[in-house]
Amino acid sequence: MKTSRPPKRSLQRAAAASRRVALARRRRVDPVAVELVRNGLIAATEEMKSVLMRTSYNMIIYEALDFTVGLFDRDGATLSIGLGLPMFIRGMSDVVKAKLAHWGHAGIDPGDILLTNDSYTTGAHLNHLTFSIPVFHRGRIVAFSTCMAHWQDIGGILNGLTTDIWSEGLQIPLVKYHARGVLNTEMRDLILMNVRRPDRAAGDLEAQLSACRVGVRHMEEMIARHGIDTVLAAIDAIMDHSEAEARARVAAIPDGVYTAESFMDDDAIDLDVPVPIRVKVTVRGANMTVDLSGMSPQVKGFFNSGAGVACAQVAFKCLTGPRDSPINDGSFRPLTVIVPPGTVVSATHPAPMRVWMTYPMTVVDTIFKALAPAIPEQVIAGHHADLVIANINGIHPRDGRLWIYLGGLIGGGWGAKAGEDGVNVTVCMNDGDTHNGPSEQVENKFPLLVRHYRLRQDSGGAGEFRGGLGAECEVEALARVNYQTRVDRVNHPPWGLAGGASARGNRIGMRRKDGREELFGTGKVNMRLDAGEAYTLRSGGGGGFGDPKKRPRAAVLADLRLGYISPEAARRDYGVVPTARERAALHLDAVFAREAQVDGRG
Amino acid sequence: MNRTPRLRIAADIGGTFTDVAAFDERRGTLHLGKTLTTPARLIDGILEGMRKAGVALEEAKLFLHGSTIAINTMLERTGAKTALVTTRGFRDIYEIGRINRPDSFNLRHRKHAPLVERDLRFEVGERMRADGTVHRALDLAEVEAIADELAARGIEAVAVLFLHAYRNPAHERAAKACLERRLPGVFVTISSDLSQEYREYERTSTAVANAYIGPRVDRYLGEIESEIARANFGGRFLVVQSTGGLYALAEARRDCVRMMESGPAAGVIGTQALCRALGIADAIAFDMGGTTAKAGVVRGGAALVTGSTMIGGYLTGLPLLTPMIDIHEVGTGGGSIATVSASGALRVGPQSAGAAPGPVCYGLGGSEPTVTDANLVLGRLDARHFLGGEMALDAKAAAAAIRRRIAAPLGLSATQAALGILRIAAAAMSHAVKGVTTDRGLDPGAFPVLVAYGGAGPLHASMVARELSMPRVVVPRAPGHFSAFGMLLADFRRDLVRSHFTTLEAVGLDTLAAWFAELEAPGQAALAAADLRARGVTVQRSLDMRYVGQEHAVTVELPATVFARGGKAAIKRAFDAAHEERYGRGSPGEPAEIVSIRSAVIGRMKHPTLERIARGGARPPDAARAGTRRAYFEAGGWAAAAVYRREALEAGNRIAGPALIEEHATTTVLQPGDRLVVEPFGSLDITIGRP
Repeated sequence: MKTSRPPKRSLQRAAAASRRVALARRRRVDPVAVELVRNGLIAATEEMKSVLMRTSYNMIIYEALDFTVGLFDRDGATLSIGLGLPMFIRGMSDVVKAKLAHWGHAGIDPGDILLTNDSYTTGAHLNHLTFSIPVFHRGRIVAFSTCMAHWQDIGGILNGLTTDIWSEGLQIPLVKYHARGVLNTEMRDLILMNVRRPDRAAGDLEAQLSACRVGVRHMEEMIARHGIDTVLAAIDAIMDHSEAEARARVAAIPDGVYTAESFMDDDAIDLDVPVPIRVKVTVRGANMTVDLSGMSPQVKGFFNSGAGVACAQVAFKCLTGPRDSPINDGSFRPLTVIVPPGTVVSATHPAPMRVWMTYPMTVVDTIFKALAPAIPEQVIAGHHADLVIANINGIHPRDGRLWIYLGGLIGGGWGAKAGEDGVNVTVCMNDGDTHNGPSEQVENKFPLLVRHYRLRQDSGGAGEFRGGLGAECEVEALARVNYQTRVDRVNHPPWGLAGGASARGNRIGMRRKDGREELFGTGKVNMRLDAGEAYTLRSGGGGGFGDPKKRPRAAVLADLRLGYISPEAARRDYGVVPTARERAALHLDAVFAREAQVDGRG
Repeated sequence: MNRTPRLRIAADIGGTFTDVAAFDERRGTLHLGKTLTTPARLIDGILEGMRKAGVALEEAKLFLHGSTIAINTMLERTGAKTALVTTRGFRDIYEIGRINRPDSFNLRHRKHAPLVERDLRFEVGERMRADGTVHRALDLAEVEAIADELAARGIEAVAVLFLHAYRNPAHERAAKACLERRLPGVFVTISSDLSQEYREYERTSTAVANAYIGPRVDRYLGEIESEIARANFGGRFLVVQSTGGLYALAEARRDCVRMMESGPAAGVIGTQALCRALGIADAIAFDMGGTTAKAGVVRGGAALVTGSTMIGGYLTGLPLLTPMIDIHEVGTGGGSIATVSASGALRVGPQSAGAAPGPVCYGLGGSEPTVTDANLVLGRLDARHFLGGEMALDAKAAAAAIRRRIAAPLGLSATQAALGILRIAAAAMSHAVKGVTTDRGLDPGAFPVLVAYGGAGPLHASMVARELSMPRVVVPRAPGHFSAFGMLLADFRRDLVRSHFTTLEAVGLDTLAAWFAELEAPGQAALAAADLRARGVTVQRSLDMRYVGQEHAVTVELPATVFARGGKAAIKRAFDAAHEERYGRGSPGEPAEIVSIRSAVIGRMKHPTLERIARGGARPPDAARAGTRRAYFEAGGWAAAAVYRREALEAGNRIAGPALIEEHATTTVLQPGDRLVVEPFGSLDITIGRP
């Protein structure tokens, strides 16, 4: 995969020189003010986040963190983003730039509030309403405060498959929701007439505006305190710092062209046709280019998105500055992304986008896979790369009313890395700080009984460093329920790196009343369960890293002691059969006996 | 020996110092002692602290104790060899946790590390349903078999968590009886004795933490008990909980997790008492030490309490479902290190020089400049009078380090660099205050007073208050002993909580009253058993409620009158109002549901009355004046700051900044424009100057 690997010392010297230049330029601004402005930008977006989470109405915002808040410069470059979810790293900047392209600086007035939810602008589904408020100083736009949040409903068909954008709900072009401080009441009425819970939607809308106003207030206070020139110079310096840190990291990557390919199972319509994910990463000096031209064309089902640039930025940030804060466009100056229109991550009108978030996670993993030969010690093997959730609903016997439960978010395995095993049962790349729900809560709310929620033995890819384990969860229906899933990466499991083995993929099933389990060959299931039947969700593990035969015997024995792997896997994957003395010392006899007993009970 | 006991003695053991505060009830006087903590034998530090305070245990009727033993055992992972027994199908809950990945872009992120590994987590056949009915009976034979295996494996402590035990603890209790019978000497904890709230991961973590720290805390408290008995102590021994309330020794030896954050909590209780004495309803408690700054909230005269926390931080910490004072912490303290990155960015913390090697000026081998070094370079600390002169500081070394590591790379003077370090630290600490206010829907601007204590709090309070636009700072007497002092003002307290899922519509007021009565019975029993002759019992009831369909619940305080009059309509109104405060809006038209009921049973104790200091005029007495020192301030640059000895100040004295008020363990900084008056109890009441 690697095509060239010239010596990099001269390039590292060049990067160091560019750092010195940046340093000299910044000397003109007070470094203390730079740090105070940096803290101020972080505090601003943190408070915007806090206000949105506290005042929004729907739990997708305050529990699943399906939102982003941010401050942008007068041209739409990101100054600070408060996530939300990692994949939202890019979308809002594109939206602000689209608004600028539409109205121009001269066409935006004080008191304006700019809105859109156009999927081909946000890159995501129509639920993402994005509001921006310009920040003026002495009659000139100096920044934008922006908030995107996921509305629980935006119209369109409920559940089911969508095959075009019209079936997905209300489309709002670039509009002024307020013009010079005056609410566009017709626009408001039109929006609220097109959503299923207008009261909730109105609440979320107001919460978003409150969050934007907090950002405006922080920017105004910062300018009043430090002066506009200092603030702008400090912002330049912050971006330069981020750029320098990122460039130094890129410069350390051997030059070359690196490619990788992976596959999604299908697009939920043509169930036998895998969807290719192809990336080409070029590293030259302190610059990186991610070329997504080889991606699958957009598909018929609802897995399309406009997240191509975001995918590249997420991977780039993971590799070059995971803790550099605030998230700002300076970090991404060394990165160029090539993504022609019409692919699954640069879909064009009228492609369906409702489940936009699934494919991009695999794209990010594929970028790591491409770079593995160049920087094996920095990348990570593939992860389960799906939310692994089920849409469950039914009529509650308690009150005869419809109930809806987004079942699962069970987490899954993460890939192994050089020097470290993968992490067990954690949310996928795109879910950041999202939490699962307690089983005790589920059973109190819904006619369901959780039979188990546990680690999935042997699901992590074998390797010198073992992939993390996925989870398995079995839930009994106490009354009739409908059961739908849109899970991918069932047939294309998370891969290993550097000789590490693949993990087990995601898996969907159901258990009949007689105790037999049926496992499905696809992750896209739509069926009804009777009382006493159960749905089963299994998430994939993470891929292994390095040759399994190099895994220290003690580590394999520890995995056996903990039940992370079965005796059979220890023998097959690692060639380890514990001696009688080892079995006794590590209490493996008891472990083996207990495992057998549990397996026997199902 | 024959003297009537008249003292209440509080001993607060922290990581660096052991503080003793004692109140003489007959004379109405306060006695303080501070000494280095003696990790090998903690009792020695307590005895030395009492010697320094000039008090003896034989004259005490109450011994109050707070300690870091519980939290250190957990953070340092020095607890017992522990096992978990849980419902079949759920032994991995403790390892799976809530699956979130807050450090979202870090490919080397890690999860919490459980205190019990998977091979010591055992499942048994049993199952309760959500409504508390038995789905599958407890298989006692399986519990017995596990007990035998635990005995063979030398387990010292066992935690038991069964699903829905908050609703019906019968299986947990039966398992406990069985384990205790077959495992004599082993510390057994069941989740329902500690928390009766739903959320199986958090409850498991709470039960395991208690089992894990239990044997060590139990031993420690037992040793202190016998040591103070040898010193002829004949009174009651009470321990401070994370709520700032007291509980009996016997309870503390069993429910050890309740004392996890006793020291920081006592400081907030001290703030609450001080505010009452000064007639202040709303204040922020600001406690800054060597490695962290902590903020708590007093609102309407009462410290805010939360029901859960993460021990070890949000990223990889372990959750506890026990009530505690709501405290937000940031990693900025006197020992925080300032650095300049390769690309030229100036940062302060989160790395800390701690107590060893400590700041450069300590001369103990530290080479990286810290916040304390910056204070010294700017003249705010006196090199000769640090810790009452017990420790000379090296100002030259501090200046050299700041010049070399910070000023030169950034092209600044050492003075500018030092001031920059303090400004950045103040900005970071203001986030601790915002953490306990804005995140909870409270406006920091509605809290007009910052009560500053801890060794470094008074040094930085003026800058932090300016950062937050707070107009007033109060520095209590003996700010370095404030946690021990706060313990003297604590009440006996037992917090109880139990999950009951019901819509408000479906539950009768009398059912609710019966639930509360049942919930509170163990609290009343504990109070009776402690035999404190409390001066009265207060019961504070609240409900965790949400709108039907919501996930997050809000705690709603129930006024005592709700049951007498008002009824459910009043409860709904209170919930709508609480929701509006916390989340920006309430929905009077939407139905609400109850998730949990909470109660605090408080036995009010006789408190020491705050001691008044001598009254003087507006001009501080000559004995308090200690000349001037050159110090640097953001407004005005270098100035001759008047220096005062705090112990000689009298009530009514007025001082205008710039000035430095020195005492044994700290210095209070008045910036130019700040004005101070010494109030009757000896606190420094500072009006922050407008810039």
